[in-house]
Amino acid sequence: MKAAIRPQSSMSRRSGSLIPDKFRLFLFASPFLVLILLFSYFPLYGWLYSFYNYRPGFPLSETPFVGLQWFKAIFSNPTQTQEVMRVMRNTLAMSTLGILTSVFPVIFAIMLTEIRTTWYKKTVQVLTTLPNFISWVLVYSIAFMMFSVDSGVVNKWMIALGFQEMGINYLAQDDHTWLAMTLWGLWKGLGWGAIMYIAAISSIDQEQYDAAKVDGAGRFRMIWHITVPGLMPTYFVLLLLSIANFINNGMEQFFVFQNAINKDHIEVLDLYVYNTGMLGFNFSFATAISMLKSIISIVLLFFANQLSKIVRGESII
Amino acid sequence: MKQGETAVAVLWWRGAFQSEKYKPIYRCKTYKCLYFKKREATALKSLRKTFSLLLATTMLIVSTAACTSGTNNGAGSTASTAPSAGGATETAGSSEQEEITLDVFSMLSNFSGEQTGWFAKVIKDKFNINLNIIASNLEGGGDVKFATMMAAGNLGDLVIFGDDGQKYLDSIKAGMLVDWTKDGLLDSKGQNILKYAPKAIEKNKANFGGGSSVYGIGFDVGDDKPGPSEAKDLTYNPNLRWDLYEKLGRPEINTMEDYLPVLKQMQELEPTSESGRPTYAFSMWADWDGNMMVLTKAWAGIHGFDEGDGFNPGGFSLVSADKDEYQGVLDEDGYYMRGLKLYFDANQMGLVDPDSMTQKFEDVVNKMKDGQLLFTFFPWLDDTYNTAEHMAEGKGFALVPFKEERTFSYGYDPYGGNRVWAIGSKTKHPDRVLELIDWLYSPEGNMISSNGPEGLGWELKDGKPVLTAFGEQALPANDTAVPEEFGGGTWKDGMSQLNNSTFKTTNINPDNGEPYDYNLWKSTLEKSPTKLDQDWRAAMGGALTAKEYLEKNNQLAIMRPLFTGTPPSVISDELEQKRGQVAQVIKQFSWKMIFAKNEAEFNKLRQEMLDKAKGLGYDEVLAWNVEQNKKVFGYRKQ
Repeated sequence: MKAAIRPQSSMSRRSGSLIPDKFRLFLFASPFLVLILLFSYFPLYGWLYSFYNYRPGFPLSETPFVGLQWFKAIFSNPTQTQEVMRVMRNTLAMSTLGILTSVFPVIFAIMLTEIRTTWYKKTVQVLTTLPNFISWVLVYSIAFMMFSVDSGVVNKWMIALGFQEMGINYLAQDDHTWLAMTLWGLWKGLGWGAIMYIAAISSIDQEQYDAAKVDGAGRFRMIWHITVPGLMPTYFVLLLLSIANFINNGMEQFFVFQNAINKDHIEVLDLYVYNTGMLGFNFSFATAISMLKSIISIVLLFFANQLSKIVRGESII
Repeated sequence: MKQGETAVAVLWWRGAFQSEKYKPIYRCKTYKCLYFKKREATALKSLRKTFSLLLATTMLIVSTAACTSGTNNGAGSTASTAPSAGGATETAGSSEQEEITLDVFSMLSNFSGEQTGWFAKVIKDKFNINLNIIASNLEGGGDVKFATMMAAGNLGDLVIFGDDGQKYLDSIKAGMLVDWTKDGLLDSKGQNILKYAPKAIEKNKANFGGGSSVYGIGFDVGDDKPGPSEAKDLTYNPNLRWDLYEKLGRPEINTMEDYLPVLKQMQELEPTSESGRPTYAFSMWADWDGNMMVLTKAWAGIHGFDEGDGFNPGGFSLVSADKDEYQGVLDEDGYYMRGLKLYFDANQMGLVDPDSMTQKFEDVVNKMKDGQLLFTFFPWLDDTYNTAEHMAEGKGFALVPFKEERTFSYGYDPYGGNRVWAIGSKTKHPDRVLELIDWLYSPEGNMISSNGPEGLGWELKDGKPVLTAFGEQALPANDTAVPEEFGGGTWKDGMSQLNNSTFKTTNINPDNGEPYDYNLWKSTLEKSPTKLDQDWRAAMGGALTAKEYLEKNNQLAIMRPLFTGTPPSVISDELEQKRGQVAQVIKQFSWKMIFAKNEAEFNKLRQEMLDKAKGLGYDEVLAWNVEQNKKVFGYRKQ
């Protein structure tokens, strides 16, 4: 590390800079610090709203200060508490499913690299990567075209093939909502998620495969003993990152797919905050609930930290 | 300023070189313009080059500005309004007024974007105004758009409120609306309003303006006379496909539940629509749901009950139009719960469109057009199916009343209804917005907004209005092509998308002594009725219209106008929060109950809804609603 810095600093002296090295490095970092302040700390200012009775249109100073009323409201009313618990359950369930399905891009990447025909491989890859660039709103319109009762393709086929007697509104069902949402997410993200692993596979030493071949290993042996272990470090890094994002499962997807029937199981924390704030017209209460997210994130962080201490003997913070 | 200057240049450039049309609008008055004109004479050629360059730069500026102002229309308006900032224009005639685009924030519109077609042309020719409509119905529904616009501190130029409750009061309190009395605005630009709707102004002063200010004006301002104010139909009518109903031999209908077996038979009679899709009795949409499901509430409407008392903000009470009676939405035997049960039963019978929950209002309109529906609540929705061709064949929707029916009806209200026209305080042109509103409140403006420009849909014969051949084809809302000179497009698309009225269309137009509604013109009534009308009238004992029939049979619940001189009550923040959450629960479970798999699940969901709603404070909100309703019962007696 020291060796790396040394030549640089000698160069700066040569160029006659007036700024001492220590500040120089700080200046290099400062744009990023500003960005962090701007996007990670400045929004915390919005938490203030949870202590007021905010009504849009009025400045905060003109709205009544209510202290912890909204926080108490979450727990003082049993129905309300149940609602929040329901939302937390959805959030955690869908995040867990998301993490469980994170092996699929790995499998997909391995299969893709095993394909020998180049044009076919390329086509499959492009077709699977494309959905990642379609917004959720459009994904929903695709879903609506496929699954609506009157004009949906799926219903037409099912009726024509005799599997069902009349149209079923597949989008307005609450069976397996979590699973369905995870599958939509998987469909959208599969190809995109595989890109990283394809890159990782291509960096695996070719000699290992050659050696294995000499030893008489078949395709599956090679995959199992060379490719999979070679991918593991990448997989674990990405897994850790997704655990860090455990609580953020976004809201777009759930927002477009929600309806009265599946609402009980589709409402994740972000969506619930939107629904209470924007639709229920209660911004202060919604802010209070959204702060739950930070609390849970902090708990998760300390949990992971503790785990790291026990397993690896060193902690992150 | 820089942007303003380039904008002047662009406008002038367009006027000078591109289109003859723009010339009179940008007649030289300012020194800038004269300066350019002088140079034009000397070095036109080199100038053209310069301006082409300038234009390109401006395009760039405008297009980047578009990013910040959100829409292209917004950018257009900033660019074109800029000259007035330089104090350039002060004009008298409308044709000389600079072109502006007004942002219309309408909480009633079902259309968003720029108004096009014949109505756009009328407004453009008369006021040189383009209307860019922002429709909260289409942007998140409910109060989402309102909340964001309030938080941004700008409600647009022309604001149309769906009711004069909390949102209107908040907007006034937060200073988001222009006071029309300031700087003599109303006196100078509101002559028609003062002449034709003085009581509506009086009410707004007393109820909302602390006795002196005016922040808006209510819709449907009526003549001062008793009786129902509707034209031929009521707000809610049970309308069935008359031809099918007649084929069944017009079975008798006593209660609202009796419709179901009839509708089932009708469905069996016509299982598919014109394009071969299945028919349903009920196809619903959730876009308009507020505190509860609108289409379930409609069952209360045909029993003479509506949400709220017409004065205080609505909530969870359904109040009778003319009696001192009210129901809670979740009352066991109330109309709302009965409506849910009815829809559930209908769904069990295969009468409910399974797409109901996931489709939008627009989808329903298309299904209606195609003939996929057998029942509607809204007479204006009938119009999409009741085209001239269908009606000549005897096909179409018409009122099929039930014995117990007492349909909600509004009496003539000279004080104006609760949908409010207002002006956003951030507008640069309060005078021109008011000019526009004022015109809409004139006999000419109301006549044109309801029946189109003279010469297109109607004309005067011996001083009385008569439909033209075009009008007979196009009215009320058909896809008839409009000649280019009147703005082109189709009649339906060109209709005013503001979706708010000014006068009651049954008022008498002082210009010609006939009502505004073409259905009530002497010339229309004398016309030979369509086959559908003939059949219906013969069956209904000679009544000419639905209103006439219901009035004769004493099946109307008429709500009399109310003038209290005080503003409506304001709900406390705590109750408002509860209302918001309970409304979510009621809406969600209403839909779930309708689509429940069986009776047991229906009952289980109902219990769940009651528990959840009550747990979140339903009773408290209802108690507050009822308290206000009772006060109104007192006012009604005065």
